[in-house]
Amino acid sequence: MNANVWQQCVSKLQAELSDQQLNTWIRPLHAREENGTIQLFAPNRFVLDWVKQHYFEHIVTLAGSVSGNPDLHISLVIGNGDLSQAAPPKIDNHSSAVNLPTFQNNLNPNFTFSTFVEGKSNQLAKAAAIQVAENCGTAYNPLFIYGGVGLGKTHLMHAIGNQILTQKPDAKVVYLHSERFVADMIKALQHNAIDAFKSHYRSVDALLIDDIQFFAGKERSQEEFFHTFNALLESQQQVILTCDRYPKEVDGLEERLKSRFGWGLTIAIEPPELETRVAILQKKAEQAGIDLPSEVAFFVAQRLRSNVRELEGALRRVMANAQFTGQPITLDFAKEALRDLLALQDKLVTIDNIQKTVADYFKIRISDLLSARRSRSITRPRQIAMALSKDLTNHSLPEIGDAFGGRDHTTVLHACRKVAELRESDQQIDMDYTNLHRTLST
Amino acid sequence: MVIPQQLPLNIRLRDDTSFATCYPGDNGLAIQSLQSLARGEGEQQLLLWGGAGMGKTHLLQAACHLAGEQGQPALYLPLLEIRDYGVGILEGTEQLGLICLDDIHLVAGDAAWEFALFDLINRQRQSGGRLVMTSNDNPRQLAIDLPDLVSRLLWGPVFQLKPLGDAAKIRALRLRAERRGLDLPDEVGQYLLRQYPRDLAYLMDMLEELDLASLTAKRRLTIPFIRSVLNQS
Repeated sequence: MNANVWQQCVSKLQAELSDQQLNTWIRPLHAREENGTIQLFAPNRFVLDWVKQHYFEHIVTLAGSVSGNPDLHISLVIGNGDLSQAAPPKIDNHSSAVNLPTFQNNLNPNFTFSTFVEGKSNQLAKAAAIQVAENCGTAYNPLFIYGGVGLGKTHLMHAIGNQILTQKPDAKVVYLHSERFVADMIKALQHNAIDAFKSHYRSVDALLIDDIQFFAGKERSQEEFFHTFNALLESQQQVILTCDRYPKEVDGLEERLKSRFGWGLTIAIEPPELETRVAILQKKAEQAGIDLPSEVAFFVAQRLRSNVRELEGALRRVMANAQFTGQPITLDFAKEALRDLLALQDKLVTIDNIQKTVADYFKIRISDLLSARRSRSITRPRQIAMALSKDLTNHSLPEIGDAFGGRDHTTVLHACRKVAELRESDQQIDMDYTNLHRTLST
Repeated sequence: MVIPQQLPLNIRLRDDTSFATCYPGDNGLAIQSLQSLARGEGEQQLLLWGGAGMGKTHLLQAACHLAGEQGQPALYLPLLEIRDYGVGILEGTEQLGLICLDDIHLVAGDAAWEFALFDLINRQRQSGGRLVMTSNDNPRQLAIDLPDLVSRLLWGPVFQLKPLGDAAKIRALRLRAERRGLDLPDEVGQYLLRQYPRDLAYLMDMLEELDLASLTAKRRLTIPFIRSVLNQS
């Protein structure tokens, strides 16, 4: 059979489908052609269902025509054809959907000790991590790092892995999130590949599992992990775990696991204090080649207190604004850039809310605003409230008129024009309007 | 007298959701950041938030188009449509260059979905793929129970999409109408904004209805014509 049937099909589809369709649905498919059949792998069920409904029949016809074999068998499954070829040979086609993490390919090279900003809150954890990296399997085993979200647990874990690899490039270091461990185990069970799963995880030099609190309540996964954990510890292979709290405090985790987690070293990372947050921002700016004035770093660090990830997001927003406007990063510039993030939720502005705020401001009753009274002390606030309703809500003018005692939309239109005129000519009205607008929208 | 109506062929150009058809208003920075991400040059993750009718869906689809033009497989996933499929549909998506998740607020408070998004962001970070999300509110204010997810939503730049003013809404409507070969006089745009909800998504839908009606009746868009069409519907 022509080995490139699928490629020829893609070329033909290219002429028929838009780029968007091709890139979204066809290119994500991986094909494996063997023994007169083509197996197409879709990354997930959604893509699979979509392709099945919209393109599969046509693909079958196309493949039959380009291969010259109208009976060519084509199947569509969930999985990844490329990775599965690297899987152990005893795993058959179907269990190939179990993609065990390959060795040494899943550490983030940017997470090293040199990019980790040390402060009082994390210096013990960093020192312990360096010890573990330099004495893999023998210093503290397991190393258990715990602390709240976004404090650098994952960074430290990757830094250990990267350091181990620097010292011993052929070491097998596997990092994964606990959820992946659970998902892989479930797939392995479904596909009778649990032995491959076990031997995979037991053959590593260092196993790094993030966020083990997500093992809570998953008994079968805990059982499997318990055995893997014991096997690794017995043969002095390093285990590093992170968790969002002290192991004894994780509900739904077996006692024997909690107790074993305490065999090595359990160490906390606390939220960074202000100086460390400033240093983190400056380090990240430096990595991005940006000059970050210290007053800006202090401003951001004061506003975002508990979480390094948020700090990074905020800095990225400031840098994006600077890049696209070409302006230098100053304190005012940073305040403006972070308004979207720091401002509390924009209040839901309703006509009711506007009427109440305007009535309070001018010290009149809401019923006056809705009444037919025409004295200036009432009509001005009413007109201002109508203009604010038009500016701050998406209601139609007839709806706004209705909400003000059943007035016609032309009255609303007149009010809006009048207010615009008065704001030009009367400073007091302009100030009143601006104050109310600010009160309502921030 | 009954005027016989001509049935239009269903060959109207679907509005392409590209950046070219997007009226930026005050959202230029957000749009530039998004374009740069879609081209594979900028951030790895962006979050855009704002109320209904701000063009969030349009922007995400435009990003997918742009990524596609660069040869990057992209997937647009509206949570409104996909949440009933279950979280399995996010599996393996990190193999794609760009994932656009529309309306993530819809799954706030749903433990399985919150976890799936958290997991997706982790996988996306690890694979180097790009991710854009939208929500109807500031991500810090969403009713999300999983703090691990909240911190990850804030990992990249967060942009609030600002609503367009009335004049800008009319310009956006005219731009869209022009692309359909439809003349939308200024006074007609002002009429629509005076009489109907000024939510841009609503107005764009209305424009589509008017386009169809104008094709069917072979009439230009005048205020009396619009009034007769919209009163009927």
